Amino acid sequence: MNKEAPLSIAERDFILNALREGVRLDGRQPDELRPLNVSFGDEYGHVKVQLGKTSLIVRISSEVTKPRDDRPFDGPFTIAMELTSMGSPAWSDGRQGDLEQYVTHVLDRVIRHSNALDTESLCILKGVSCWSIRADVHVIDYDGNLIDAACIAIMTGLQHFRRPDAVVKDGQVVVYGLDEREPVPLNITHKPLSITFQTFDEGKLVILDANRKEEQASEGDVVIGINNAGDVCFLSKFSGAPVDAIVFVSKSSVALEKVKEINGIIDKALQSDLAKRTEKGLAEESKAENDR
Amino acid sequence: MVGPATASLSPLTRSDGSSSYKCPATGFNILGSVNAPVELPARRDALKPEEATVEVLVKPGTYPAGVGERYVEGILKGMLGKLVLGREKGYPRRGVVITLAVVGSEDVGRGDSYLTMLPALLHASHLALLSAAVPLSMTFTATVLAVTSSGDIIRDPSVKDATAATSLHVLAISSKGHLLLNESQGAFDFDTWERVHQRALTICRGVQPSGSDGNIAMVEDMEGRPLEGFIRETVEDKVYHDYAWKIDAA
Repeated sequence: MNKEAPLSIAERDFILNALREGVRLDGRQPDELRPLNVSFGDEYGHVKVQLGKTSLIVRISSEVTKPRDDRPFDGPFTIAMELTSMGSPAWSDGRQGDLEQYVTHVLDRVIRHSNALDTESLCILKGVSCWSIRADVHVIDYDGNLIDAACIAIMTGLQHFRRPDAVVKDGQVVVYGLDEREPVPLNITHKPLSITFQTFDEGKLVILDANRKEEQASEGDVVIGINNAGDVCFLSKFSGAPVDAIVFVSKSSVALEKVKEINGIIDKALQSDLAKRTEKGLAEESKAENDR
Repeated sequence: MVGPATASLSPLTRSDGSSSYKCPATGFNILGSVNAPVELPARRDALKPEEATVEVLVKPGTYPAGVGERYVEGILKGMLGKLVLGREKGYPRRGVVITLAVVGSEDVGRGDSYLTMLPALLHASHLALLSAAVPLSMTFTATVLAVTSSGDIIRDPSVKDATAATSLHVLAISSKGHLLLNESQGAFDFDTWERVHQRALTICRGVQPSGSDGNIAMVEDMEGRPLEGFIRETVEDKVYHDYAWKIDAA
């Protein structure tokens, strides 16, 4: 099954006709994001992202492993996403649907293959041990545009995460606990984000950040992965009705603008969380009951 | 005790019922969702013709699910399957799908005992079932107790305490005071188990079963608020909140 209940014909027509008059269901402009909220949990790398009604939790974790034989300098980085019936009753647990495969593929391309995380910096001792980084995506509420929401959450998580410090002493790897030594942030080379557009009327109408109903009514989608510097690292038009080439050109500049806006929101959230943590850390340290 | 647990009902919008439960002592933060009654496709032959099938999925926070998760899913399925009134109208041949995600904790390591997390999972699924208005035969509360080598009983042990303990017990007590679930691990004798049982009863229900003189001693002070009261209050708060329009009008 793994499919949402389809829209009724009347509902689809309503959405389409409204779009032709320049009106979206929730009153947004065609190039307007839903309200984005980024919050953090207690641990490093625990991020909750709410994009409109779509919300998901990403947890980043690290582990010391042996690097692959053919890549002795690289630490593995995996993005694990499993859609469960928590996000939407249409998804059945334990069976991979089309959406899951598609989203995982795009995330892999935008974040992993664009080398957003410098995997060579994860190496501790060549060919012997390295950090393995894992991003777990838990979709808890699904209302369209999973790709962008997951992308935002993973990139925020990678920037928020701190791994334990590890040192090589006489050929031995020593890993220090989070309370023994200041944990180390990951090495992020650039901050790519994906922006998904949905197209209607053979590419004449293009909207950004569609919700679930708009996604269901659309004819095709265009995904653009782009970073703050304007480097396009992913561009796809997987299926659906054809789209004019000019859409790609004009929408890349829209995407760049949006990525800058979103990265601004992420930076602000990260900074306020960091400030809170240091404040709390100082308060903990200066307690009278602590050992001196 | 590090203060009371925190829980909320229906934090999610898409699933029929949902809950979040955070245990302060162990730090386990569980998000539960229930979809019921739903069609379970392609499993027609496995469905019981006159009853609902309960399915449980436990999704760990930072690693793929494995044997430990399957094991704890089995325990949950066995116990909750008995509580859900699967013969009510609309339920036979349908599924009650419970999904539990571990969204924050110091994490049970791969291969560690799952018993420390079991009460949090039980409470989260219980509250989610209530939020989805699935007919249940009774309510329950659960607790985990560790017995140290010196014979002390620790309530809600951390993962570290649990590995050091000689035995670990998870008990679920129904709203009528009956024992619903007993999962024990490690070496212990009958006397120890009796003591654990007594302690679990006071934690869950707040009353010690009547002594030889027939008196019922209230021991709320020692154990804090009983868990049953906590579950009740969580549900009551939600009902008051949802029916504020009606209550205010009356």
